[in-house]
Amino acid sequence: MNGNDEDRMEQLLKRAILPVGSSEPERDLWPAMSRRMEKRPAAPPWFDWVLAGGVAIFVVAFPAAIPVFLYYL
Amino acid sequence: MPTLVLPVMLAGFVVVRLGLQVPFPIERGLVFPLALVPSLWALWNMIWIGSHMRTHLSIGLHGAVLPLLLMPGGAVIATCLGILQVGQRGVTWFHSFYVPYAWIVPAFACALAGYYLLWKYIVGFLNRVLGIA
Repeated sequence: MNGNDEDRMEQLLKRAILPVGSSEPERDLWPAMSRRMEKRPAAPPWFDWVLAGGVAIFVVAFPAAIPVFLYYL
Repeated sequence: MPTLVLPVMLAGFVVVRLGLQVPFPIERGLVFPLALVPSLWALWNMIWIGSHMRTHLSIGLHGAVLPLLLMPGGAVIATCLGILQVGQRGVTWFHSFYVPYAWIVPAFACALAGYYLLWKYIVGFLNRVLGIA
């Protein structure tokens, strides 16, 4: 392949593949995400505390279950 | 969530298997949690995002349904890979941890509760932060 062929190949490729537009987002996305992260969620209801306590008690009473639980995570 | 746990599990595998030279092939036990579970969580999350406008099911309850599919599937795969042996009075995981059948029902209830909490607080939080729910 000589120089002319390479130039022709380059031109063909440029024609075949459309130029990609700007890869940058149009606006800064971080402030919106930061606001969402800082929003404080509502306090967990008592039912969720009971469930979390039950899970903790089970894991403490039966530690052999820990690797089995990790297997399913 | 599994994506967050993945590096920790990989680090644990490297330490236990390569560092401490534990003879048990724990890489067999990692196939399910590292290859299938993350994809299933993502798929389950997409199903929730696509359906909750119609079903109005909370994300916690939706996540709590997942063990109903995961547990039998995971047990079948574990049995095929030789990391779960089924006995007369219980099962043995990883050639080390004996779990009597009597413990399976409370363990399953515990898994449902754990999944409910993980999906409600962690997956829900990540969905909100990413703006997809």
